[in-house]
Amino acid sequence: MKVKIKGWNTVAVWKWLANDDKCGICRAPFDGCCSDCKVPGDDCPLVWGVCSHCFHMHCIMKWLAAQQNQICPMCRQDWQLKSE
Amino acid sequence: MYELMTMASMMEDSPNAAKRPNFSAISNSNSNGISKTNSVLMVKSGVAKKLVIKNFREKPKLPEDYHAETWKKLKEAVVAIQSSTPISYCLEELYQAVENMCSYQKASQLYENLREVIEQHVKETVEPYIRGVQDRKIFLKEMEACWQAHCRQMIMIRSIFLYLDRRYVLQTPSIPSIWDMGLELFRKHVIGQQLAQTRTVDGLLMLIESERQGDVVDRLLLKSLLRMLSDLQIYQDVFEHRFLQATDALYTAEGRRLMQELDVPEYLAHVDKRLQEENERVLHYLDGGTRWALIHTVERQLISEHLGSLLAKGLENLLDNNRIQDLSLMYNLFSRVKNGLVELCTHFNSYIKKKGRTIVIDPEKDKSMVQDLLDFKDKMDNIVLTCFQKSEKFVNSVKEAFEHFINQRPNKPAELIAKFVDSKLRMGNKEATEEELERLLDKIMVIFRFIHGKDVFEAFYKKDLAKRLLVGKSASVDAEKSMLSKLKQECGGAFTSKLEGMFKDMELSRDINVAFKQYVANLRTDFDSAIDLTVNILTMGYWPTYPLVEVNLPKEMVQYQEIFNKFYLGKHSGRKLQWQPTLGQCMLKAIFDNGKKELQVSLFQALVLLLFNESEDLSYDDIKTATNIEEGELKRTLQSLACGKARVLMKEPKGKDVTEEDKFKYNLEFTNKLFRVKINQIQMKETNEEQKATEERVFQDRQYQIDAAIVRIMKMRKTLSHQLLVSELYNQLKFPVTPVDLKKRIESLIDRDYMARDKENPKQYNYVA
Ligand SMILES: [Zn+2]
Ligand SMILES: [Zn+2]
Ligand SMILES: [Zn+2]
Repeated sequence: MKVKIKGWNTVAVWKWLANDDKCGICRAPFDGCCSDCKVPGDDCPLVWGVCSHCFHMHCIMKWLAAQQNQICPMCRQDWQLKSE
Repeated sequence: MYELMTMASMMEDSPNAAKRPNFSAISNSNSNGISKTNSVLMVKSGVAKKLVIKNFREKPKLPEDYHAETWKKLKEAVVAIQSSTPISYCLEELYQAVENMCSYQKASQLYENLREVIEQHVKETVEPYIRGVQDRKIFLKEMEACWQAHCRQMIMIRSIFLYLDRRYVLQTPSIPSIWDMGLELFRKHVIGQQLAQTRTVDGLLMLIESERQGDVVDRLLLKSLLRMLSDLQIYQDVFEHRFLQATDALYTAEGRRLMQELDVPEYLAHVDKRLQEENERVLHYLDGGTRWALIHTVERQLISEHLGSLLAKGLENLLDNNRIQDLSLMYNLFSRVKNGLVELCTHFNSYIKKKGRTIVIDPEKDKSMVQDLLDFKDKMDNIVLTCFQKSEKFVNSVKEAFEHFINQRPNKPAELIAKFVDSKLRMGNKEATEEELERLLDKIMVIFRFIHGKDVFEAFYKKDLAKRLLVGKSASVDAEKSMLSKLKQECGGAFTSKLEGMFKDMELSRDINVAFKQYVANLRTDFDSAIDLTVNILTMGYWPTYPLVEVNLPKEMVQYQEIFNKFYLGKHSGRKLQWQPTLGQCMLKAIFDNGKKELQVSLFQALVLLLFNESEDLSYDDIKTATNIEEGELKRTLQSLACGKARVLMKEPKGKDVTEEDKFKYNLEFTNKLFRVKINQIQMKETNEEQKATEERVFQDRQYQIDAAIVRIMKMRKTLSHQLLVSELYNQLKFPVTPVDLKKRIESLIDRDYMARDKENPKQYNYVA
């Protein structure tokens, strides 16, 4: 062995596992956060519905609070959180 | 009882000062030669005072011819004074005589008699004498002598007739005091004569002109004669007007001539000298009342008249050569005249705009642009501080001019400022101490303040900051934080939130790595690696976007990544990790014939070197296939390993550049005096493409911000005219935009149904919910 790795300093970018790049409610990219937050990350998490649509948690909560029926704003199916 | 007064007290409490305003010849007597007379009189009156009491006790009887006798005695005394012969009576006797005359109702006649004697003298003695002299200078001297003699005589006469002055004249407003009567007679019979007057004034003007030409003249003579004109109350009428006319004519001609003959600094120095001279003239012999008009005339003819030419001809040169003293003088002189400083400021402003433009506009000079800007700002600030008295108008003008010219070239200055800051914050910048660096950053912030498109700065700054943080190249965390807080102060939290996010990611990553080490230690698998892994986890939105690259990693590394993935996603569900091999760094242990070395390399360099564990010789294509590194990147990597300063690979054939036909070999004979060797990557020259890519990102971000602003405004206002919407946007947007840009974005939002044109009024928009 002529060469051996001793140290490795590397970089990874984390992304949401979303099937779209924008939130269907606030239309901001998932790389950012909802319109009420400033910092993307655990403070402004994403949630996935059983219908497979995905939103900022803050956005879907606001949306549901203003609706009588608990339906997904994208596909109008009943909104249910997908359990992991 | 009467009292004798000394000359001093007589002057001070003269009760009817209004009646004799022209006392200057006496009060300013030092140069008039009257003071001697004063002291003689004072001694005499002191002696006489003893007699006062005696006289008071014995009141004399009045002989029949008393009035005639007494007047005879008094007249004798007056004539003696006028002919400078000794007085044969003691002063006490004369004082008493005057008092007696007044007591016996002869004051009026006494006054008339006195006036006759004085008039006689002035008319018969002084007037013809003056008329006779021909030579101008002698004439002036004679005139002055006559005047001085007149004053001297009048003072003495007045002191003898003091009782008359105080009792009779004071109570009779229609007649002038004895002193004024003397002046009146002198004016009437001497200077009032046309010939004498003309010759006096001509003579005075001639003397002044010759002094202005540089000759030495008798200033005392000038002063005395001008004082005479003032005392006679004809200074303004017969002298001042003609003097100012002559001054005006002289300096009109001089200004025109010297503007041709002298360069601007010489000219300014000359004007300064002239102003000093004229001020001295006022100090030494002119009446103080002339000062304003005189100085104003000089200022007008030498400065005001040539303001434009002086600035056009001289300012640029003075500023170019940093002529501090000349600039100070220019400011001081210009501040004296109307619009002087306004004009100076306007020209100063254009100068900065013109010079500044040459600093930023030429791509050839991009390398030195920021340093040149800093130097130029320092220079202009220093001039405003030391030459222009830190005047607010000039301070603001510098700001306005910088803001104007620096934005003449879009984007580039912002980009170069960001890169300049990077060069100062990067490790290896040993040229500055912490304090110096801090001061420099402050100065850069001042320049940065003028930039309109600050988002361009942010894009490039972010790119460089990312490199400094991820490659561990930052010189000082304190300096980084300090710069960040300066940016925050300047542009607000929104501007720096992403940059702060980058620092936050770095801190979070530290914690994650500590936790990961524990996680690995507790793993119940047979995974055992000697590699010390550190992962920086980036939040997408904060950092620049990096191109997605897939390379082939050795099995051990892939395994390690997978373990980390599992660890990380276990803590953060709903996420995925995207590895960025371009930013990887490795520390290698390498064995050469001469011993072990530690090599500090990029991941790509490491991947190439690791291949030589298995083979002796590798072709370019072998390496490319094995690593899957993109072509350009691979060529640069091989070049750094085989053609750089530390050649750990050997290349066949030799050469500076790497081609696809090259073959490579591990260089066992590699030597280096250091144990730890850093192999520099060959920096891809920031190509036009990369440049454009960053600019493009900025441009896209701007589109997005414009859209967001339009939607925000429309959501709030519901209905808005095009005009109002555009002006709102100009208020809100922090980067330069054109009306065409805005129109395009509005059209695009209408197409996408965010808003709609009003059906009635096409120039009005409605928000679509
Ligand atoms: Zn959202
Ligand atoms: Zn949120
Ligand atoms: Zn759905």
